[in-house]
Order: sequence, then structure tokens, then C-alpha cells
Amino acid sequence: MKKLMAPTTLFLSVLCSATSLAAEGDIGVAAAMDDRYCTTCHGVEGLGNIAIEAPRLAGMEAWYLKRQLENFRAGIRGKHGEDLQGNAMRPMAAKLSDESITDIVDWIGDWEYVPAKTTIEGNVRQGRTAFQACAACHGANAQGNEALGAPALAGQNDWYLLTQLRNFRAGFRGSHQEDTFGSQMVTMSKILRDDQAVINVVSYINTL
Amino acid sequence: MTNPVSRREFLNLLGAYGGTSAVLQAGAALGFMPSSSQAAEITLQANNGKKVAILGTGISALTTAWELTKAGYGCTLLEASHRPGGRMFTVRSGTVIDEIGNYQRCEWDNDPHLYFNAGAARIPSIHSNVLKYCKELEVELQVFVNESKTAWVQDDAMNGGKPVRNTDYSSSMQGFISEMLSKALGDSQLDSSLTESESEILLSMLRRFGDLNEDMLYKGSTRAGYGSGGFLDHGTKKDVVALRDLLKARNGGSVMVTTQEGTGSGPLLMQPVGGMDRIIYAFANRLRDRIKFRAPVTEVMVRGDGVEVAYEQNGVTEVLKADYCFNCIPSHLMSGIPNNFPTDYSEALNYIRRGRAYKAAFQAKERFWEKENIYGGITWVNAPIQQIWYPPHNIHGKKGVVLAAYNFGGANYTEMSQEDRIEDLLKHGEKVHPNYREMAEKPMTIAWHRMNHMLGCAPRWARDRGGWSDKEEQMYETLRQPVNGRHYLIGDQSTQHSAWMESAIQSAHHALADLDQRVRSEPA
Repeated sequence: MKKLMAPTTLFLSVLCSATSLAAEGDIGVAAAMDDRYCTTCHGVEGLGNIAIEAPRLAGMEAWYLKRQLENFRAGIRGKHGEDLQGNAMRPMAAKLSDESITDIVDWIGDWEYVPAKTTIEGNVRQGRTAFQACAACHGANAQGNEALGAPALAGQNDWYLLTQLRNFRAGFRGSHQEDTFGSQMVTMSKILRDDQAVINVVSYINTL
Repeated sequence: MTNPVSRREFLNLLGAYGGTSAVLQAGAALGFMPSSSQAAEITLQANNGKKVAILGTGISALTTAWELTKAGYGCTLLEASHRPGGRMFTVRSGTVIDEIGNYQRCEWDNDPHLYFNAGAARIPSIHSNVLKYCKELEVELQVFVNESKTAWVQDDAMNGGKPVRNTDYSSSMQGFISEMLSKALGDSQLDSSLTESESEILLSMLRRFGDLNEDMLYKGSTRAGYGSGGFLDHGTKKDVVALRDLLKARNGGSVMVTTQEGTGSGPLLMQPVGGMDRIIYAFANRLRDRIKFRAPVTEVMVRGDGVEVAYEQNGVTEVLKADYCFNCIPSHLMSGIPNNFPTDYSEALNYIRRGRAYKAAFQAKERFWEKENIYGGITWVNAPIQQIWYPPHNIHGKKGVVLAAYNFGGANYTEMSQEDRIEDLLKHGEKVHPNYREMAEKPMTIAWHRMNHMLGCAPRWARDRGGWSDKEEQMYETLRQPVNGRHYLIGDQSTQHSAWMESAIQSAHHALADLDQRVRSEPA
């Protein structure tokens, strides 16, 4: 289940650990100063955590993770005042180095893909119809398409998909002028005419 | 001064709150101390050799481990962080604040007086169980000064933004309130419920409370300090600040209530000498090897005959099997850890929201506040930093640590960069102390919402400020019951008065009492 840390990572951890003194004789160990803190919010092995509204990372494509971490770091994503979850994520990524992003993406690649639990129910039949537009980029089985920059949607936490679609529709995500793929989603998400249509399409994705 | 609140308005206001009769009827409660004034006696059945897994090392977990170890249980504590204590966290020279994306290492002078209680910071005299453990574990305590009348009140809207002394604000406000109430006492609507002698006593109290003159009017008070003289010469009163001017300060409520002790504040509070974590280490240093650090829990499975807890340490996953499990992992983190809890239990865990408290502090080059006759207490600032605390210990020492911000709602600090946070605290602080920026060395900040392995401050149950809904009460009761008689949720998250160490300790005592009763009723 758990892979041993790669030698480069061990080096990084040793390099970055720092003693944290309390007082003479107090117990404790050196603090980890590396950037492998994703699981605090995103759950054990990145399974997602609804209480933090932090989505499942296990199974996310390396290229998509890298782009999003870079976007968060640069403030291309997560800066709109109404993107509450993005606002929470952005500062976590603000100080990441390129090296750390590579290390994190590799680390997440070790985690087992486990489809998330379903929490949302809508009209699947109507959702399927609406999904045809999504399938052009994200694939008929919502498996994703790297060539088009479209991530997999199948198996993702449905509450996360719902938030993101709502944010795209409202322009809370994807409005930054450098967010090339996000801006495409702002346009595409408007095909869904109301919030019920958003719920329906997410419900259909749950079946894939 | 003008008369800004008419007598009629004032009486209408009283009427809206039911006049005085309801208050008078509450007299039966006088004489009782607030609850929790008695420390619990823990008497667990001794030495049964049972194994207990304790998740987290917050004060509820340490209390549990300490009591169970004394009784002969075999305890193992799993801590995700490098340090024990959770939200009882003291920052001093060398301390790492592992806020996600904002690691800080404290570079203050290495001096036992120079510390910052970044989480819990004050012990009220009615928190008997906290005090009981301080006594038992020989944690030296000292008085903490929560209110200083020489500290400041600052609001950009009041006095042209210049700070006024707490005493100028509070003694004037007491005067005006007393004057208005004494005027109202002549009205039949109010005094119909008072006898003549009660009215007389009340008037006499009001005269002294407000320092009113013979005509029961507030015309200033020497309590606010003298305008001039006072020692070799006769003191003169300061000019009266108009009520309307005082009412420009929007943080007056905070100024006026810091001395009320009922639920935790008070003029006299206590703190351990050297930092709040002295309590944590008093437990942890005695439990020593029972604690595994940097060992995050990765799975909790409750079985028929015990609990299996998986955790990761040094890149390897281990499984700890125990008869019982006491868990103080914050509920919002537990939602991200695989488990087999019943659905209603998980729903209740997912329901609790995480608090967003923010604090900041710096090492002051000199104890500049003492030159302003301040030796402790709180300055109230109507800005997101809200509070400035001055250390009441090491008076006249060389340096001191000033708490430069304490926002219990967190404001926008969670998302701010360290540089912006520092500029914010300096910008608002220098409105109070002109030399603040020059005095501040190496500021440290802590946004609990971003702290690694915590991600939040005090848990928040009730969504409605008006109180707990029936559904919330029901979920609370669900979490108070052990899963399968094996898994206990502890910490201030399983209390109705979060943010206090006393609550966390009482949650542990509550769970221990349940465990003990189960163990005693087992067939021999």
C-alpha cells in the first residue's frame, strides 16, 4: 500500500527538518519543513475531505496537478474573492518551488485511485444529454484528455465538481486572463442553463 | 454635555428587555459559584492491563493518558505533529510554526520570559480541573493581568483616531450609564418592582458606580486620572468626554466586559510561568516514550473486541491494536481519515465547523508600554488586529513579547502573506504607540485555519448564533456515546463550551467515567 520514499525525497526531508525547541528536557522531534503537507486537508492518500471541502487528489493526472499548483502559486486560480475554496488553497501553494511541485506531483502519483463516494443525486437522464458537450473534451467516459488539457472527472468528489462548475458559471474561477483552460470552462459551463442542470450533469458523471 | 439618549427612549429600551422583574427573580441563583468550580475526583479501577490507543496529544488526550497510566492501563499516543499539545502552543526562541505554506522559525532572544502563547493563554480561577493538574504536576503559575485601565482604546472614528485610555472610556461610560439609570429610577414603570429601601440602595450604588455628583449627574471623575496635579498639588478633574464622542468607538462592548469572570474572562486570570505549554510538557515529559511523534493516523477501525488504528511513521504503515481508543483528532480532519464509524456518527463529525482564530506577536526592543504606565492588560483596537496584549511578567526587564493581534474570527489573515500580516499589525499598532514599528522585532503570526495537523481553532457547533438546534443537540449526544463501547471522541469538540482547556479536560473525564463503568461491569 505505501511505497517507501524515494532517495531524493529523503534528502529533501533531512535538508528541511528543523529542531523546534520547547525547553530543556522537553520531548518532541524535529519539525518537518518539507512541502508534503497535502494530506492534512485532502485526507489520507488524497482521498478528499468533505469537511475541509478539499477534493480527492489520488488519481488526478500529473499534468493537471502541476498546472493547477502553478496556477494557484501565480494567483491565476484562487484569487477571486468569491472562490472560497480556491482562496483557501492559494496561500498553501504560494511559496512552492518548482522542485517542490515536482516532488508533490510524484508523491501523489503513488496514491491508489479510489473513486469517491456519491453524495449528490439529480436527473441522470437529463445530465447525460448535457454531458455530450463535456465529452468532446473530457471524453465520453469522463476519463480526461491531456492533449486538450481536460482532466478526468470520473471518480472525483461530486461536491467538488459541483462547486467548480458553479464557480466557472459565476466567473469565480477561470476569469483570470492567463487562465487559458479555465476561460474555456467559463464559456462551456454556461451551456448548463441553471443550477439544476449542473446537479444533473454531476449526477451523470457519478455513473461513469 | 448634551443629553443624547432621552429618558423615554431609555425606558422603552428597558421595557423591551422586560423591565427589572425578571432580573430580580434571578436572585435565587446568587451565592452559587459558576459550574466547574469543583475539580473532579478520578478513581479508575486499577491495573487491569488493558491497552488504549490515544489519538492526538491535545490536553484531553494527555489527561486521558495520564489518568489511565496511573491506573495501570497501557497507553500509546499517536501524534501527527512534531510536538505535543495541539492548540496549547507556546512560541519562543527556536520554535517552528508549521503553518501550511508559511513555515516560520522563531529567532527571538533565547530568554525564558520571551514567549508567545499562540493558542490557549489564560486560566480563569473557576477552571478547577486545569488548576488541579497544574497543582498535581507542579506547574508554577503566576497572575495574568487581563485588564489594565491605563491601556488604550482606539477607533479611527473616535477622538480623531487618537487612542484614549481605557479608564477615560470606561469611567465615563460608567458615569453616563449610572446617570441615565438613576433618572429612570424615578419612573413608576421601573420602581414599581422595587421597595423604597431597594431604590435607595440602588441609587446609592449608582452614585458610586458612576461617580455622580449630588444631583445624580455625571460631571467627570478623577477615576479617569487627574488633568493635573494629584500628589504635591491638588488634583484637577479632566474635562468630561461627551457620551456622543464615546459612542463613536465601536469596540466599547469589549472594553467594558473584560472584567466579567463567569465564563472565562476576568480581571485576575493565571498563566504558567514560562508559557502555557508548561502544562503540556508536564504531562508529556512524564508519559515520554508512550508518545509517537510525526505518526499521523491513516485509518481507524472499530471492531467487536477493540480498535485497530493504522498510522504512518518514517514512511512505514503500522497497525496499533487496542482494547479502547480515545480520539481528539479534530473532527474535520477525522473526515479525511478512513474509518468504519456509523453513518450518524460520521455525519455529526462532518457537521462541526472549524474556527478561524488568528494571533500575532513580536519581541519588543524595549518595554515601551511601561513608559506609558501600562503593566499588562489589553488595548482594544477597532481594526482586524482587535487586541494588543502587554506581558504582565518580567516587569522592568529588558525586552518583552507583545501580542500584536488576536482575532477570534480570523478576519482575512488566513489568506494573507506573512509580509502583509506584519504590515497590517504594524500599521494599526502605531496608531496606538507611535514608536511601535521601531520597537517591533521579528513578528510571528499564526492563522490556526492553516496550521498543519490542526486546520482550525475552536470547533463551532451551532450554526445559529441564537443557540443550538435540536438537530445539533442530537448530533452532539451521538458523538458523546462511544462507538461500540470502544471509541471515544474527546477534546473541546465534544463539549458545549469550546476553546477552553477546562472543557477539553472535562470531555476526557466524561469519557473516562464511561470507560471505567464498562470495565467494572465486565465479568471477572
